[in-house]
Amino acid sequence: MGLLDLFRRDTAPRAKRRERALFDDEFQRKLEMLALVSRRVFAGRLRAERRSKKKGSGIEFADHRDYTAGDDFRSVDWNVYQRFGKLLVRLYEEEEDLSIYLIVDCSSSMAFGERKKFDQARRLCAALAYVGLANLDRVTVVGVNDAVISRMPTTRGKGRIFKVFEFLSELEPSGVTDLATALQTFVAQHKRRGLAVLFSDLYDPAGFEAGINMLRFNKFEPYVVELVDPAEARPSLKGDVRIYDCETGEERELTITDGVLDKMERAVVDYRAGIERFCAQKQVPYFPADVNTPFDELVLRVFRRGGFLR
Amino acid sequence: MVFSGLPILQLLMIAGGAASLTVLLYILKLRRRAVPVPFARIWDAAFRDQNATELFSKLRRLLSLLLQLALLALLILALGDPKPKQSLLEGRHLVVLVDASASMKAVDVKPSRIESAKAEVKRLVRGLGSADRALIVQMGALPSPLSTMSSDVTELDPAIDSLRASDTRADLERALSFAVDGLRGLPKAEIVVVSDGVLGDVTEISRHVELGNVSLKFLPIGKSGTNVAISEFSVRRYPLDKSRSEVMLEVANTNDRPAQVELTLLGDGTIIDVSRFALAPNERLPRYYQDLAGASRTLEAKIRFADGHADDLPADDHAYALMPERHRARVLVISKGNTYLEAALLLDEYLDVTTVVPGRSLPSEHFDVAILDGVVDALPNTVAAALYLNPPEGGPLKLGARLTDFGFDTWDRKSPILRFLALADVQVADGRALTPSPGDRVLGASDQGPILVSGARSGHPFVALAFDPRNSDLVLRVAWPLFVLNTINAFVEEDTGYVSSFRTGEVWRIPVPSSLDSATVSDPHGAQHLVPVKEGRAVYLGEEAGFYKLSAGSGSDSVSSEFAANLSDLAESRITPVTELSIGRQKAAPVSIGKAGAKRELWVYLLAVVLGLSVIEWVTYHRRITV
Repeated sequence: MGLLDLFRRDTAPRAKRRERALFDDEFQRKLEMLALVSRRVFAGRLRAERRSKKKGSGIEFADHRDYTAGDDFRSVDWNVYQRFGKLLVRLYEEEEDLSIYLIVDCSSSMAFGERKKFDQARRLCAALAYVGLANLDRVTVVGVNDAVISRMPTTRGKGRIFKVFEFLSELEPSGVTDLATALQTFVAQHKRRGLAVLFSDLYDPAGFEAGINMLRFNKFEPYVVELVDPAEARPSLKGDVRIYDCETGEERELTITDGVLDKMERAVVDYRAGIERFCAQKQVPYFPADVNTPFDELVLRVFRRGGFLR
Repeated sequence: MVFSGLPILQLLMIAGGAASLTVLLYILKLRRRAVPVPFARIWDAAFRDQNATELFSKLRRLLSLLLQLALLALLILALGDPKPKQSLLEGRHLVVLVDASASMKAVDVKPSRIESAKAEVKRLVRGLGSADRALIVQMGALPSPLSTMSSDVTELDPAIDSLRASDTRADLERALSFAVDGLRGLPKAEIVVVSDGVLGDVTEISRHVELGNVSLKFLPIGKSGTNVAISEFSVRRYPLDKSRSEVMLEVANTNDRPAQVELTLLGDGTIIDVSRFALAPNERLPRYYQDLAGASRTLEAKIRFADGHADDLPADDHAYALMPERHRARVLVISKGNTYLEAALLLDEYLDVTTVVPGRSLPSEHFDVAILDGVVDALPNTVAAALYLNPPEGGPLKLGARLTDFGFDTWDRKSPILRFLALADVQVADGRALTPSPGDRVLGASDQGPILVSGARSGHPFVALAFDPRNSDLVLRVAWPLFVLNTINAFVEEDTGYVSSFRTGEVWRIPVPSSLDSATVSDPHGAQHLVPVKEGRAVYLGEEAGFYKLSAGSGSDSVSSEFAANLSDLAESRITPVTELSIGRQKAAPVSIGKAGAKRELWVYLLAVVLGLSVIEWVTYHRRITV
């Protein structure tokens, strides 16, 4: 047994413990509470009654249209025919299950520092997945970096939450961020449109806009949850350093001073303001998620913001 | 420019190695610490401005390397100890004679004249040119060189610091002789006398010292001062009553104003007399204290102004004296009866007298002196010395012709036996001339032959008087008991010529009652000096006033004694400074002191530049100016 084996023996259980702690009993109790809260907030609504824009065979009247050959005679509105002498067909809103896609950024930058961003992203993902499952929505979890690296098959029902936990636990951040490419693959794989919640720090060298637009342009309803680690805005660095991008490996030689750190802080604020501005312009719900804020508080903030549950 | 430090080749090797190391360290410094960041694009935004000045930044780094290489070059240059070429040319050679006499202890300039002189000499040394050399000499009773002829401030400074004023007169003549000898053959020779000018009579110096081409300069010290002094101090026991003593002292007012003074006498450390009196301007006032009792060993005198404040020269305000120690002498008198002799012996209470009638057996105890009155009994070895009065035949001396009606026509006035005696008109009725043997000494004689002889027989000293004192008028005179007691004192080695105190600045010859080669003298500060003994005298040049101890020999042969020393020099007590000095027709020129630092070594400046540049580099680096 070599020295490396000793390290492996030590590190593997620690990683497992860490993952178990991510979704521990306390976490699950909070999920229950969130589910209850979500029901209370949207009391009176039926399960799976999220109405689609499609007109179909539902029970609630939506509109009339002219009869055309081949239409089901049962749908002809005879009362209208009696009053106006026109054959009109009654249209009903088609009721369908909501599809919720939870897209977790699994690039290297999400694990920067102490993996706080990645852990927070997974907790939020798990929480929203649980709420979705509890509402009998169809929940799909996808891990992306510059491609779709992992996908949990669409599922529904509260009991499937442990599958979600298992899937999220097995995600491992690596690679570079390329949301546009990854989400292009995602939309190609998922023809059923729905809510697409993107958990990411949006550190995309190609620009975060392309990824979000990819969802918008393909009729998904994007939600952006930006994972924010305040420590990244003002790192504890001083003096002459050679910085390199943890994803791309790009290098810069710099001398860090207090003035430089101030500039850096302002640049981070500007970058995030750009994200918020973009989302506001495109009417994409945007939630900054501080890694130091408890996940349940963030989830409630999502609920209050509206749109996630109707 | 020449290098007097490391050789050029060695310097180049060091420079090469150090420069390589510097460049290597510089390159290593350029390898920055690698730090990962989550998103480099944001840093690009933060450093847009810095990138714009990247060229300037590189230039600044190059400047940093150049600065370090410049520092290195300066250090290497300093190691080479560069000197201007003119430093190899002839510079001045100075002998600085610093007056260390008693008057330099005056405190009219703070803290004292000697300290002021030190400060002036330090300024002088710092103002020397780079090629100049100086030798520091302490000018006391003897000139003492304190350094070598050097231009190195680090050598001259300690020498200047070691200057100490003593309780002596400065011997300018000797010091000038020493300086002239030291400067002989050297170019641009100068003698600088740093003094208050209280140097005694200097008019005769030019007769003995030829300055030649040596230029003389004078740096006056001191302002003016008020001083009263004890210029003489002496004490002696009364020969006829050694329990009592008398003191002669002289006090002097060296000022042009009258002074009220208080004089205190201390016996064995206890005040025995305090008197106040007035002194006229420049008055020297002798004072006698007769019949003093209460002091058995030491006597001290102190003077100060009557209002309590001290004068400007404390060194001459205190005088010391030691009285000779007393020993109880055992005297054996062999006589049929001699009233005059018995009366004379009664005068000294320290005599232990035993009287024996001639023919009787003599006591076996030890006696210091035997007095044989008209008899020549054989004396045992327990008797150390003998005084024969009118000895018959068979004594230590052969008797010559009979003498009648005679007196002392000649006598040895320096003999301790005849000290204080007036013998000129002593009349003697009859007696016998003495015939001295070889080695005997005739102390007194009439024109008819020797009548008082001293000598030694079998190691025992003797004195013989050729007549019966009762057949003369000697017994009616004061000289009679003095003669008897002087003789006894001489035999028991109680020196009637005892010196109660020596004068500082003179060579002392202290009696050592043994034939030793050396003795040890402890000065008033407790320092011990090994001194040679010549002809039974320890020879020592004392420079400090106070009580001294002398010890010599070891074991049973060891002897020890004490003595005192005083300044007792009125010339030194006249402390009014003199601003000009002339030796013969040569008048000393004033000293011009150059600016301090003018003669510093160049390497010091180089190091200062290195230090300054290092500070600049440090500040600019930490303020991110040069990085």
